[in-house]
Amino acid sequence: MPETILVIVEQHQGKLNRVSWETIAAAQAIAADTGWAVDAAVAGSNIAALATEVAAKKLAKVYAIDSLQLDRYTPDAFAAACKQLITAKQPKLVLMPHTYQVRDFAPKLATQLGRCVISDCTGYKHDAGKLLFTRQMFQGKFSADVSFGSDGSGSGAPWLATFQNGAFRGDKAEAGSGAAPVETFAVTLEAARNQPEDWFKEAKQAVDLTQAEIIVSVGRGIKEQKNIELAQQLATALGGEIAASRPICDNGWLPMDRQIGSSGQTVSPKLYLALGISGAIQHIVGMKGSRAVVAINKDSEAPIFEIADVAVVGNLFDIVPPLIEEIKKAKAGS
Amino acid sequence: MLTFREPLEIADRPKMDADVVIVGGGPAGMACALRLSQLIDEHNAIHPDAPLSKENIYVLEKAREAGQHCLSGALLDPRAMRELLPGFETEAPIEATVEKEAVHYLTPTGHFKLPLTPPPLQDHGNYVISINRFVKWMAEKVEAAGITVFTGFAGSELLYEGNKVTGVRTDDKGVDKHNEKKSNFEPGYDISSKVTILAEGTRGSLTKQLVAKLDLARDSNPQTYGVGVKELWEVPSGRVAPGEVIYTMGYPLTAKEYGGAWIYGGNDNIVSLGFVTGLDYQDPRLDPQRVLQEFKRHPFVADLLAGGSMIRYGAKSLPYGGWWALPALAGDGFLITGDSAGFLNSARLKGIHLAMKSGMIAAQTAFNALRKNDSSAKILGLYPKRVGQSWIKEELWKVRNFHQGFEKGFFAGLFHTALQQVTFGRGLHERYPSHAGHENLKHLAALPVDGGPDEHLLGDAKGDGKLTFDKLTDLYHSGTKHEEDQPAHLVIHDTNICNTRCVKEFGNPCTHFCPANVYEMVEDTSGPAGTVSPKHISLNSANCVHCKTCDIMDPYQIITWVPPEGGGGPNYDGM
Repeated sequence: MPETILVIVEQHQGKLNRVSWETIAAAQAIAADTGWAVDAAVAGSNIAALATEVAAKKLAKVYAIDSLQLDRYTPDAFAAACKQLITAKQPKLVLMPHTYQVRDFAPKLATQLGRCVISDCTGYKHDAGKLLFTRQMFQGKFSADVSFGSDGSGSGAPWLATFQNGAFRGDKAEAGSGAAPVETFAVTLEAARNQPEDWFKEAKQAVDLTQAEIIVSVGRGIKEQKNIELAQQLATALGGEIAASRPICDNGWLPMDRQIGSSGQTVSPKLYLALGISGAIQHIVGMKGSRAVVAINKDSEAPIFEIADVAVVGNLFDIVPPLIEEIKKAKAGS
Repeated sequence: MLTFREPLEIADRPKMDADVVIVGGGPAGMACALRLSQLIDEHNAIHPDAPLSKENIYVLEKAREAGQHCLSGALLDPRAMRELLPGFETEAPIEATVEKEAVHYLTPTGHFKLPLTPPPLQDHGNYVISINRFVKWMAEKVEAAGITVFTGFAGSELLYEGNKVTGVRTDDKGVDKHNEKKSNFEPGYDISSKVTILAEGTRGSLTKQLVAKLDLARDSNPQTYGVGVKELWEVPSGRVAPGEVIYTMGYPLTAKEYGGAWIYGGNDNIVSLGFVTGLDYQDPRLDPQRVLQEFKRHPFVADLLAGGSMIRYGAKSLPYGGWWALPALAGDGFLITGDSAGFLNSARLKGIHLAMKSGMIAAQTAFNALRKNDSSAKILGLYPKRVGQSWIKEELWKVRNFHQGFEKGFFAGLFHTALQQVTFGRGLHERYPSHAGHENLKHLAALPVDGGPDEHLLGDAKGDGKLTFDKLTDLYHSGTKHEEDQPAHLVIHDTNICNTRCVKEFGNPCTHFCPANVYEMVEDTSGPAGTVSPKHISLNSANCVHCKTCDIMDPYQIITWVPPEGGGGPNYDGM
């Protein structure tokens, strides 16, 4: 029996995370150097099709861990399922992609197995019979080659390692001459203590300000957090987005992704309405490409007026409410 | 609410072993690294059987790239470089050789040229350089020699065993505004080092901790400082020749303040100009960035700059104290070099060559420690001895009382300087005392409301956008960038003092002396509408240009500058 490498691939709702192909490619490369066999495991619910898809690669075997309790990811259930498979099959090396999900359950899995993980590796070396994993240090300035010990003090087999996204090429994962056998592996899982929330959506860039045609931007002149609402009403009336200069975002009155300027976003909308923004150069560089700039400021010497197409000297709290009414009226009339 | 950067308790920091860690990649640190490399190469050529490795010698530099936090005039006295790399002139980035120098005394509208240039300001044969480019070039040499420069890593704390310095901890990365770990959190490394060499530059934050912990300055004069505010200009050709050097004294300062300006001609019509204001002025409303703007409005300067454009801005403090202000330079496990120690000749306004030389001597000492495998004070204590036998002492001894002579104003200073000239630096006393500059600040109540003769130096510069600039516009030209979501690295130990006592007593001088608009007093709007709340201190930490003026000049000494997340700071291209 040769030693085996077990690749735990990642799926979500029956769809394979593409980075899994990279991990398979990594395992195949290591296998070519060591002569070990490569197995893969898919965990989830209703994953037969996926297991078949994976089995098309050059693998010795594919384990399908199919359980309703794995339908939605929980660290408890996934760690337990992987542990049962690993304990039963005794692979020498377990490889996983360094995804958020793996980062979540791998420490638990390793602890339960009494083993350690070499995480976020960028490559490996096979040197005089010794397998070394390369990790970055000092933000990539250094690479360290790390090996598992064999003294049984937590670093003996099974070895666990994760590979960084992009460390190997997924398209280099070799296809097999025929489909690898798929074996269903039954697990008994206790109820997970974790209650999964809805799947995390990519932080919806609440707004891509660079695409906005109308931006209402607020500066210090807005005075208080509760007055942001007024600017928001104006933005809504105009069908535009709200943005701000740095002090507003610094105060946490608006999220940082709404910040315009040298330390925020650079925008060029059709209309940029600056409320109570003095117009320091740090802000100007972020919006000077705007087609039309309307500035409202109490200080007639505010630098924003140098680039404004329409300059309104006055108190924004006197000007904005009737402006909102007028816009609403105009829109209703059109 | 302000949250300040504080060391996080982390049980399990990544660890690394080193032979030598040099904290700071400026002229001192780079010269140190290069010399160390040379000594090891020589050793290995003679003792191929017992070679020393350079692999575990590291330079930590908080800037994203080497040289990006380096700011100076700069004129280079080539003495140290000629010892370090003979013939360096053929490949180093040198703007021009000084061929013409003059000292002008400015009155509010006129100026007169001193009939002869005082000997300390004679610069024939020195080089006009951009310290940024020069240090970049030195960094290339260091890396080519096989020594690793970690850019983007600051030293956040020293590691100790008792009173022995055993290494450095680097900055924690990915910490948010509230000192909480972000998803990209990476703990700082604990680098254990046989020898730790502090080359952090002026008012080094680790040096400050160390000097306080071990009371290394107990026999020294208090260190005194100035802040240099600099602009780089491109001017119409023919105004200032490459290699032309102009110093000015007098206006806009009055006889009460210490300071002066430099104007250096570089290549391609680039002019470096700046104003050094002594951080021992009396009026807390004085603003060094305003001083530079007033200086440029003087007809003598305005004529040189007319039609030109400002292309870069920056500021940095510099230690003036000289020989008597040096702290103990070595102890168990550590050496202090360059501006961190205070190796600067204030009479000549030059310190780069002294910084380099101190780094080279430190390298020699560290090399001995590595060979003997002993980094105790017994071996490292040779460093101050060697400094004492070198031309560093020879040069600084002659001017040991120079700056102290100016404590009572400009004219007293001229008197003492003349006297010291004819007494080999002694003057009236063998050792003139000095006082920390912030002690000179007077309460507002003791000053004329309008500033009196200092009126033109107080408050914010307005700026006409051509010749003069408001602070934020200047700041924009420093290219300063920091990760915004991080705790404030200007650690104020008691903000109550800022919001109450300081308002009354000094009128918050931090809002004036900071050349980057970091400190602001803002209205509190959190109370119920209609209530008038007093202003409170607010920090724009991301503006910080790392000059350390606040740490030096704050009258209550409650501000501690600590490094922000590595990589942040100004971008002094070409400065």
